[in-house]
Amino acid sequence: MKFRFGAEGDLTAPSDDRLAVGDPRVVDFLGALARRLLAPAVARRFPELGSLGYFLRPAELSRAVTAMRRPDALVFPRGNVFHLPPANVDTIFVYSWALSALAGNHNVVRISSRSAGAAEAVLEALDAVDGDPVIRRTQRMVTYGYDDAVTAALSRWCDLRVIWGGDAAVDAIRKHPLRPAARDLTFPDRTSWAVLSVPGWRAADPAARRAAVTGFANDAYWFDQAACSSPRTVFLVGGGDPADVRAEFLELLLDVVQRRGWTVDAAMAVEKRVHAYGLAATGAATALDFPDNRVTAVTLAGAERAPRRWIGAGAFPFARVDSLLDLVPAMNRQDQTVSHFGFTPAELHAFAAELGGRGVDRIVPFGSALTFGAVWDGYDLPKEFTRLTVIQP
Amino acid sequence: MSVFTLSQSAREKVLLPALEDLVAHHRERCAPYDRILAASGFTSAASVADLPWLPVRLFKTLELKSVPDDEVFKVLTSSGTTGDVSRIYLDKAAAATQTRQLGATLQTVLGPKRLPMIIVDTKSILKDRRSFSARGAGVLGMATFGRDHVWALDADGAVDLDGLRGFLAEHGDQPFLIFGFTYLVWLHLYEIALAHGLDLGNGILIHSGGWKKLIDQAVSPEEFRDRLGRVGLTRIHNFYGMVEQIGTIFLEGPDGGSLYCPDFADVVVRDPQTWAELPPGEPGLLEVVSTLPTSYPGHVLLTEDLGVVHGIDDGAWPGKRFSVLGRLPRAEARGCSDTYRSAGS
Repeated sequence: MKFRFGAEGDLTAPSDDRLAVGDPRVVDFLGALARRLLAPAVARRFPELGSLGYFLRPAELSRAVTAMRRPDALVFPRGNVFHLPPANVDTIFVYSWALSALAGNHNVVRISSRSAGAAEAVLEALDAVDGDPVIRRTQRMVTYGYDDAVTAALSRWCDLRVIWGGDAAVDAIRKHPLRPAARDLTFPDRTSWAVLSVPGWRAADPAARRAAVTGFANDAYWFDQAACSSPRTVFLVGGGDPADVRAEFLELLLDVVQRRGWTVDAAMAVEKRVHAYGLAATGAATALDFPDNRVTAVTLAGAERAPRRWIGAGAFPFARVDSLLDLVPAMNRQDQTVSHFGFTPAELHAFAAELGGRGVDRIVPFGSALTFGAVWDGYDLPKEFTRLTVIQP
Repeated sequence: MSVFTLSQSAREKVLLPALEDLVAHHRERCAPYDRILAASGFTSAASVADLPWLPVRLFKTLELKSVPDDEVFKVLTSSGTTGDVSRIYLDKAAAATQTRQLGATLQTVLGPKRLPMIIVDTKSILKDRRSFSARGAGVLGMATFGRDHVWALDADGAVDLDGLRGFLAEHGDQPFLIFGFTYLVWLHLYEIALAHGLDLGNGILIHSGGWKKLIDQAVSPEEFRDRLGRVGLTRIHNFYGMVEQIGTIFLEGPDGGSLYCPDFADVVVRDPQTWAELPPGEPGLLEVVSTLPTSYPGHVLLTEDLGVVHGIDDGAWPGKRFSVLGRLPRAEARGCSDTYRSAGS
């Protein structure tokens, strides 16, 4: 067991330290962390830490704390929280942990041994913050191998276990029982989409189109299209034959990717061929275009054939539908984020209302798919991280 | 009789129409293959390099066969590095052809008669079901080309020196066949032969299985040949082949250092960015082409191996001569679906 942050020692030992919801010692610590993450040298190396730093600014934190308070009950920390974040999305663990710390919980975060890059920069920044000693006693981040005994002990210790990383991870970790009053907050496999209004695109000026594609490119390429909120299939909605819109979209996309200097290596290009050929072989795809290793375009036989598994970095299936409402039957509970361009608020609201919570937790503009929020996967995280006491005098 | 006879232009003249026929043959009989080609917009090819290739890994994710279920005679499987398995379907005719053509290829260097054979492996790979995979199948397939077999390694993987001495006493004055995986030959046979002065001068070594383990020990193919020469072993033939194109092997020529294509096969090295064919001297991704696959669409396969063509019609045998340089590293994505694997998985 390697301690990456916090005081070394028995992780499950009882503690006399008490933190409050919105504890000033935590707020100070997170504020200092934000300043380090927003430092130009760090933000240049890892742009994703910029958004994290923004999320942790004092104004944002105080907004989050205010949202935790309620008129009808006293709000307290949930207790001990055990976080199992994904190995490869470097910053999720900070969001999950920071909100829980802000709620006043004692936290143990399991950091993957394969963590790298941005995660290491965060750990360095955490270590450099000179906060109140209580922070290091109550907030611990550790790396350990696939040691079921440690996972089991922490599972018995916690009041809330936060499991990121997909169905297999959730199933594997659920083999370890919790205490009767404890529960899981799970983030299983998700799929995310993009919807593009064909009339909306045609009405947009060239700058707006380019801005939309730039946002979409960030959403798609930042995590190799493998984050739960990365858009995969693009639904072209309404407006007759969308061939020209699709062609222009792809042309702009390749241009943005080119300008960013993003590359897709040969192994990934082969991976994409394997998946694209697989879609064609089963009849799900009717046409495949490989203009460049960085962009693979797949024409789907219909919206209902959109793949829910990852098919490679820079792989974009396209399907045509007449309206957003026609997409509703193709959506299910696994679907998380729909990023949009060119729709009116009324169209988006009608879409959400028709879905009725049977799928899709977030409907956000192109460029915001990866922006983490305190409401995530349909959960209000600050509420999950707190408990309520009612008093009737 | 040799199957290494066709110059590159003669080969292209024979292969292109045969392969175009195979494309049509498989499109007619294998609907998923036809849908892939239709979706990719393939119509016709002006050269072998124009023919539509399938990534070899597709045989791990799809069932691709061009014979009805009741004509499947044999299903070959290969274990991959990630645990997924290729499934290759052979009917009776394809199974017979692959054995015959593999035999014809090897006879070019072994001669028409079965030779006494040293297998540089342990018999226990045939018993242990878990390790009986590509290695066991490879050994069994090759064993049919020899006789009076002796296993060079005992059940614990240690060299059976008495067994080897007995074999050499009986057969060492005539040509004999040695077969094994490259790293086993290096680790066991070479060291022991050197230490105990075994005379392997009449041996013909056929070996395969990749250089990765040797390159990790800083042993190059040249050094491998050079050092084995010191124990008298000068007739050495590496080969390259895969279960997805069973029966076709690319064999190192008598000049050493390059692999050659039998008359019914060819290789194309592709630029991994543009996918166009690369000229000799430029390394890229290796595509293997063969007319043998009639029961599954494995006639034009993009491997995940890097290779380079050294020259065309300028070696001991006609056609392209090439080397395999190593494996393309597997694509890995960042992503959410990757937190935790429990012990044992």
